[in-house]
Amino acid sequence: MKRVILIFVLLTLLIPSAVYAQSTDPWSEVFQQDGNLNPDLIDLGVTTDNPDWMSIDLPFGQSIDLDANYHRFQTPSGNVVVLPSASTLFFMAMSPQASGLTSAYGALGNGAGTLIAFLGLAVGKNLDWDKVQADHPEYKSPDQFWNAVLNGNQNAWTYFSGWGFITNLLQMSWNDGAFRSIYLLYLNGKLNCASIPGGCSGIVKPPAPSNVCPDSSVTIQQPVLSIQKIAPNNPLVVGQDTGNRRGADIQAKVTIPPVIFIWYEPIYETRTVCRIAKTGETPNCNTGSGSKVNDGIFVSVTVLKECRKHLEHLPDAVASLQATASLDAVSKNWIIGNLGQSHYEAYIHLDNFALISGYGSWKGSCDGGGTCTATGQALRVPFADPGTFNLRLNVVTTGTRFRGVLITQPRHIGADGKLQVYLALPALVQ
Amino acid sequence: MKEIPISKRHLILAIFLAVVIAIGILLVQHWPLRVEQTSTPTTSEDSLASSAAVSAVEAVFQIDYREDEAAWLKRICDVSTPTGCLLFTAGADRLWKKYVDDKSVVTAKAQAIEKVADNGSEQVCQMTINLSSPLPGSNKTQDIAYIALEKTDNGWMFDRFLMESEINAILSHQKIISTPANEGKK
Repeated sequence: MKRVILIFVLLTLLIPSAVYAQSTDPWSEVFQQDGNLNPDLIDLGVTTDNPDWMSIDLPFGQSIDLDANYHRFQTPSGNVVVLPSASTLFFMAMSPQASGLTSAYGALGNGAGTLIAFLGLAVGKNLDWDKVQADHPEYKSPDQFWNAVLNGNQNAWTYFSGWGFITNLLQMSWNDGAFRSIYLLYLNGKLNCASIPGGCSGIVKPPAPSNVCPDSSVTIQQPVLSIQKIAPNNPLVVGQDTGNRRGADIQAKVTIPPVIFIWYEPIYETRTVCRIAKTGETPNCNTGSGSKVNDGIFVSVTVLKECRKHLEHLPDAVASLQATASLDAVSKNWIIGNLGQSHYEAYIHLDNFALISGYGSWKGSCDGGGTCTATGQALRVPFADPGTFNLRLNVVTTGTRFRGVLITQPRHIGADGKLQVYLALPALVQ
Repeated sequence: MKEIPISKRHLILAIFLAVVIAIGILLVQHWPLRVEQTSTPTTSEDSLASSAAVSAVEAVFQIDYREDEAAWLKRICDVSTPTGCLLFTAGADRLWKKYVDDKSVVTAKAQAIEKVADNGSEQVCQMTINLSSPLPGSNKTQDIAYIALEKTDNGWMFDRFLMESEINAILSHQKIISTPANEGKK
C-alpha cells in the first residue's frame, strides 16, 4: 500500500501525465496532445553557465570549472522549460537546492523516462545498494532512495561505490550535446529569470498587458550563423606558405530575423449618453428605463471603440561578434607525438587565438524589415600549425525594445565550424 | 639409551634461536594489522596504482608557463584514462591562463599515503603533494589530494580528483569503521 501511495506521489510530482487533459496545467502549454512541443514556445537556444556546483576542486585552491549546459524554451505565459545536458542534470541532482532543481514545478522525461530513471541509468551499478539498505532499511527500492536524493533529504555521494562513471557521464554529454532527456518547468521563469538555471540570457519580456485588449505576443525566429574558410582550397601552414604568405581567409556570417511583436492598441471614442440624473441636476433626456418624463442627463463618455492590432518587426542587432580558432586535441597529439618522432623538436606554435577581433573585423546592420545581419572576415590568417582547427563564432545581440520598453533580452548565440590546415611532408620515392 | 652430549654454548645458542623465531612469528602475526592501519600499498596491484597516482599528480602540478598548454595536457593525458583526459582538458584553459598570467614555474613531488577505497577496478588514493613554490591564488606548498584511479588495459590510470562531497563521504565512512576499534583499545 505504502508503495502504491509513493508511486502515486511520484507520478503527481514528476510525471504530470494528465497535463494534456487539463488546460490549467502549465505543462499543457509545453506539449501538444500528440506529445510534440507546442509551436508557440519561444526557443531561447542553448545557454552555458559556470556554477559552483559543477566545479571540481583541486589541491592548492585550484579548480576545474565545468560548463553547465541548458537548452531552454519560453512559454507564452512566461514559464520557462529547461533541458539540461546529461552531465548538467546529474550535477543538478547531486545539488538539488543550489542548482535550482528543487524549485522546478516538475520534471517530465522524454525517451529516457523520469528524473529517477535517469539517475538510475547514469549511476548504474555504482550505487552500493547493500550499503543503502544497511543504513536505510526504509528504502525498499533504489527509486525511493533517488527520490530522497532529489528532495535534498539524502546525500547520494555516501553510497557510490565507483568513481569513473562521472567522467563517463561527462564524456556522454560532450560527445552528444543533444542528449537531453528531462524537461524541467519553471513557473514564471520570465519574471524570476535570475534564479532559474541559465539565468536571464535571451528571456523574452514583453510589456504588461492592457486590461481591455488582448495580450501582446512575441515570436522569436531562430538566427542563422556560420563560420567557415572561404579561401584557399587547401591552406598550408605558414612555414610552407612562403611564396605569397597566403594564409587562410575565414568568414563569419550572422542573419537574425526580426522579433515579431504583436500588440493591441485600445481605440476610444467620445459618445454622448443619457445617464440617470443625480439629485440637484435638471434632467434633459430620457434614459429609456420606463419613465414617461425625462429622468436623465446628457453626458460625454469615453468608450472603447476597438482594439487595433499592431505588428512590429523589431530588430535584434548584433552587439558583439567574436571568432576564435583552436587546434583540436587529436592534432596537438599528432604534432607532439607522430610529427615529433620524425621531425626533431616539432612543437605547437599557436593553438588558440582570436580571429575576430585579432586578424579581422566585422560590421553589421539592420534593414527596414527588422532583419539584422553581420559579416566578419579574417583574411590571410597565418595558421602556424597543421591539423584541424575548431572555429567558434560567438555573438551577443542587443535585445529588442519597443518605445523604450525592453521586449526581449540580449541573446548569446554561437556556431561552430572546422578548418583543415595542411602540412607538406617530404617522402622518399624509390 | 644413547646419551647426546650438548655443550653449554650450544644450549645458549638453541635458546637464542628459539627466542628469535618466537619474536619473528609474533611480528609476522601482527604485521597485517600494522599494514591495515597505515594502509601502505600491500599488493603489487596497489603498488602499481600508487605509482600511477604519483605520476599523475606530479604531471598535473609540474607547471612551466613558458611551455605550451598542450604539452602540459599531454603529460597529464599520457597517464590518464581517456575520460579523465577529456575532463581535465575541458576545464584546463582557464587554469592554464592563470598560470601564464602569474608566470608560474612549479615542480611537484607527490607521495601516496594510503588507499582509502577500492572496488577492484577502481581505487581512491590519498596523496601528499609538495610544490617548489605556491600556485596563483594560494600560499601553500604542501597539500593533500584524493584521486580516483581506474584499472585499464594499459594498467592503472588517473581518472580525476575527487570532489569535496566524495571525499567527505569516504572520510565519514572511514570514521564509522574505525570508531569501534578505537573504543575497544581503551
